[in-house]
Amino acid sequence: MSEGIKRRDFLKVLGVTGAGASLVGCSTDQVNKLIPYVVPPEEITPGVATWYASTCGECAAACGVWVKTQEGRAIKIEGNPNHPVSGGALCARGHATLQGLYDPDRLKGPMRRSGDGFEPISWDEAEALLAGELRSAGSASLFLHGATGPTLTDLVSRVANSLGGQRVEYEALSEAPLREAARIAFGRNEVPVYDLESADLILSFGADFLETWGSPVEQARGFARSSGVSEDGGKARFVFLGSRLSLTGQNADNWYPIRPGSEGVVALALAGAVARQGGDAGPYGDLVSAYSLDAAAEAAGVSLASLQELVGFLVEAQAPLVLGPGVAGQHRGATAANLAALILTAVSGGVGTTLRFAAPTGGFPSTPFADVVETISAMAAGQVRTAVLHGTNPAYTLPPASGFADAFSRVGFKVVVTPQMNETAALADLILPDRHPLEAWGDSNPRDGVWALQQPTMQPVPHFDSRAAGDVLLSVARQLGVDLGAETFHDYLRNRWSERHAALSLGGGNFSDFWREALRTGVIAAPTTTAGSVALQAPDRPLAFDPPSLDGATDGLTLLVHPSSRFGDGRGANRGWLQELPDPVAKITWHSWVEIHPDTARDRGIRKGDIVRVVSPHGEVELPVWTYPGIRADTVAIAMGGGHENTGRWADGRGVNPMLLLPSEVEQPSGALVHLATRVDVIPTGRHRRLATIEGESQTFDRPITPAVQLSEMGKEKDHYGDYGPLREFQAMGGFVPVPTEGNPEDYPLEGARYGDYDPANNARWAMAIDLDKCTGCSACITACQSENNIGVVGEDQILMGRDLHWIRMERYYETIDASAPGPLDIRFLPMLCQHCGNAPCEPVCPVYAAYHTPDGLNGQIYNRCVGTRYCANNCPYKVRVFNWYEFSDVPEPLNWQYNPDVTVRTEGVMEKCSFCVQRIRRAENRATVEGRDLLDGEVAPACQQSCPAEAIVFGNIRDPESRVAQVSKNDRTYRVLDVLINTQPAVNYLRKVTFHPVKDIHV
Amino acid sequence: MIKKQWFAALAVTTLTVATVALVLVNGGPAAGQTSSPQQVEYGPEGQPVAFPHNVHAGSEEGQFQIDCMYCHFSAERSNAAGIPPVASCMGCHSIVRGDGSEEIAKVVGFWERREPIPWNRIYKVADHVQFPHLRHIAAGVDCTTCHGPVAEMGVIQEVQQPLYMGWCLTCHLEMGASRDCTTCHY
Repeated sequence: MSEGIKRRDFLKVLGVTGAGASLVGCSTDQVNKLIPYVVPPEEITPGVATWYASTCGECAAACGVWVKTQEGRAIKIEGNPNHPVSGGALCARGHATLQGLYDPDRLKGPMRRSGDGFEPISWDEAEALLAGELRSAGSASLFLHGATGPTLTDLVSRVANSLGGQRVEYEALSEAPLREAARIAFGRNEVPVYDLESADLILSFGADFLETWGSPVEQARGFARSSGVSEDGGKARFVFLGSRLSLTGQNADNWYPIRPGSEGVVALALAGAVARQGGDAGPYGDLVSAYSLDAAAEAAGVSLASLQELVGFLVEAQAPLVLGPGVAGQHRGATAANLAALILTAVSGGVGTTLRFAAPTGGFPSTPFADVVETISAMAAGQVRTAVLHGTNPAYTLPPASGFADAFSRVGFKVVVTPQMNETAALADLILPDRHPLEAWGDSNPRDGVWALQQPTMQPVPHFDSRAAGDVLLSVARQLGVDLGAETFHDYLRNRWSERHAALSLGGGNFSDFWREALRTGVIAAPTTTAGSVALQAPDRPLAFDPPSLDGATDGLTLLVHPSSRFGDGRGANRGWLQELPDPVAKITWHSWVEIHPDTARDRGIRKGDIVRVVSPHGEVELPVWTYPGIRADTVAIAMGGGHENTGRWADGRGVNPMLLLPSEVEQPSGALVHLATRVDVIPTGRHRRLATIEGESQTFDRPITPAVQLSEMGKEKDHYGDYGPLREFQAMGGFVPVPTEGNPEDYPLEGARYGDYDPANNARWAMAIDLDKCTGCSACITACQSENNIGVVGEDQILMGRDLHWIRMERYYETIDASAPGPLDIRFLPMLCQHCGNAPCEPVCPVYAAYHTPDGLNGQIYNRCVGTRYCANNCPYKVRVFNWYEFSDVPEPLNWQYNPDVTVRTEGVMEKCSFCVQRIRRAENRATVEGRDLLDGEVAPACQQSCPAEAIVFGNIRDPESRVAQVSKNDRTYRVLDVLINTQPAVNYLRKVTFHPVKDIHV
Repeated sequence: MIKKQWFAALAVTTLTVATVALVLVNGGPAAGQTSSPQQVEYGPEGQPVAFPHNVHAGSEEGQFQIDCMYCHFSAERSNAAGIPPVASCMGCHSIVRGDGSEEIAKVVGFWERREPIPWNRIYKVADHVQFPHLRHIAAGVDCTTCHGPVAEMGVIQEVQQPLYMGWCLTCHLEMGASRDCTTCHY
């Protein structure tokens, strides 16, 4: 190099010239403005977050939440630990509600139809127009809305009544068959309160209670507590009976792949067998004895022995719980199937322990699909002059066969109140931009004894000229001369609550004290009323339990249309976080797929990724195939939520809407929409595509990744440390030095290593423990992490190139899965995040010291040092490092309002990865230091742990033997992924999954 | 004698600088921004109000010795020191009108129009740096350590310019504070 320039000298020249240049006015500095408040809001200290308690508006479960706002912007949403539904956790959809708030595709202002398009009008004009149309419509007016909270529903009801018009409440995902079954069985027309936590045997006939059915967060918590092995070795068994393994099904210990529609027969036969062994079937004694296990086995397509084994489980169980089919399995006999499940619960002794009823709340139960059908025919007959739709999107969620679009077009004046455009709004004459739930007042009453308020957590996002639906209704009512005693919906809500406060004697001092406390805590302590004991009643109507008929050719494949755990009924589709969240079952992002059993696919010459035409007697769609061993060979499944046309840039044109394949049929007697109705033909088109999947491999091939242990073998896990000789520590100057260690995180840094600042006596060793027996694979942690850490959305094209940016990857491995016969099911989940290795392979290969180890045991990633060589990612055995190939952080305004100011927004060319939420650690350390105390255990919770509905993650300083993470890690099930092979000494302790069946001993 | 390669290096550098300059001249700062920050931004005419820190915080005759934390109250509680809201100014200036001072009239004007005062920012650490004010104040670091003798300044100026990491680290080492990267970068 003697003849050339040394790199250092070159930089010197460059540096001097550069500095000179900047002196003569070539600085690229921009003038930054500091904009102070004029009048400071009392509760805001710049740089300090303010939290507001509110209610999540994403689904009817109505989780209580805390919303983190900084400088007046909502930046993070977390479960409210005091709320009995959320219990501090939240699902992925809940987290993504922030992207709904800042969705750049929200409506900019009120619009009126003008020819084929829309023209903007002012709010005053819009309200006057609506009032005029309602006045002239009078009793020919219709209010159709979704589940929007009791007080808003009450307001809609009063406005509708004042006009003599009609009010219909419709939710696409309806539990009507279960309510009707509960009415027949117990005389209670409501959804029972299920206690999964105290159950020791859970049977689900298809209800996906971890995803969309009922109250998923609360149920996931209960399920994880009962099915996660306890210290005394107790563990509830979960048996899933259904034709397709949903994410819920994947968590089962036994899978009975019964024929769709045979649930009623199987449940009654089981009930009969349990009754013969002493169970009491009450008035259903004759009915259940009429069903034999033989016939049920025949109908379900499973062996008699397997059903007998199930009877054994039921008889043995102390607290069994049986759940009926969920929305996906809602077939023509759904009420009967749900009734059979209730009878089975009662016969096996679950009533009063795992299933109970609360006193009726006197609320407004959503009306079933049957009422919507009636409404549609009224609209088609021209009996509706003015229709106001709010919080519901029937043009998308109803099968086109229902004729909604055509009937809607015959309504004289169509008004849609919605925060953003959707398929129904596109047909309207007037569109009124609604507030997002995080900007508006409201309340919730998801079940008896649980009330919560919803309060605005920030000023309305100024990009959108929106008004709350309640305020618009009140203003319109005023113009119609109806006095509802309130100027604003806030006043209306207060008035109603003032009445309720007196009527329910809610306490908490006078009303203003009560109100303030309710807003502060986010929970209203209402008395829970258990409705005493319930017992089976004789049915008041005849029901057919036989497998229902299906449309389509008998050699076709049964079509299962199921709600998506990411989009619900489709309303969350315009959120990048949810589109890019790998589906917990299929691991596919951004597009739809049809699930087909590998054998069926092979027989038909179809490969994974082939685009097929799925044809039913009612319609057809084209989409790629994903082969899935967790579905019966005679069944195919498509998730709801795709195929939007008018919702926004992230949703439109992506995937297909499976409702196109369904008939518009009402289930008798509940009136619900039939979801499992038809057989389909699957025809290859000859085209193929790469699936936008993040799945690498679905098998572990016995590598030490997700070992498990049989319940009866617990405590006998083999310890293989030392099998390959002592672990070695790679030292900066000394090469490989053998150090005897078992690789426990608390041993780091190893004796004899060159520490420098690394002083074990004075530093924490941050570590994590993840209990894989609790983890349900729901993926809430991924979106929580994305929200906390400003992680970009890369888009489908980048996912196809393997460039996803998530810091957590939910691995899903099939261990034992057989759709041909009942048997043990073993699917293992592994949340894979940076392992913060003590001996990290990424660190020595970084040429610029951007990846290095901090004294408190974190594997640091310093963005401003990183030059993007990507050596670290190549050397990471866990593949948890992700690279910003482009400027993914450059998102359209106002999505960037959501960014967490505590975390650097990464730019193009920078490597990033899980930081153990170092910003939360530093915040807590700063607070503790300023307050002159030590950090407390549990004071730092990373976003993933905070959000986990299954309570599977524990984080803390593992060097403190009293810390929870150290306590939890002191378990025979503890292992570290790949550590025994590659000597990485990770800081993440995983606790093995526990199974009921024998498992292979994996060398960890 | 300068070797051939040095010429090449200089040529490359000059070209780069020239290109940057061209870009700045042609497509440079947008309207409303100043093209020469050093002169206008920090000068009295650059700020919307010629706020004299010395009159407020100074300890000489006719100066009021107001504590820094009176206006920048969040510095000891928060990562951010904060810029006082206009209401804080009016706490005194609704009474103290300074005998028809133009500058106070400007403040009153902002207040009456309910407008925030758009101050030009003097101190800014890079986006990838997290600087918790509260931790430094709790450690007894005086405001002047980083911000200079503000109480003597008629026109606020950046004294430790620019805020190099080396300068931060020197102090961290002297004070025995952490020199770990993730103390400030995450």
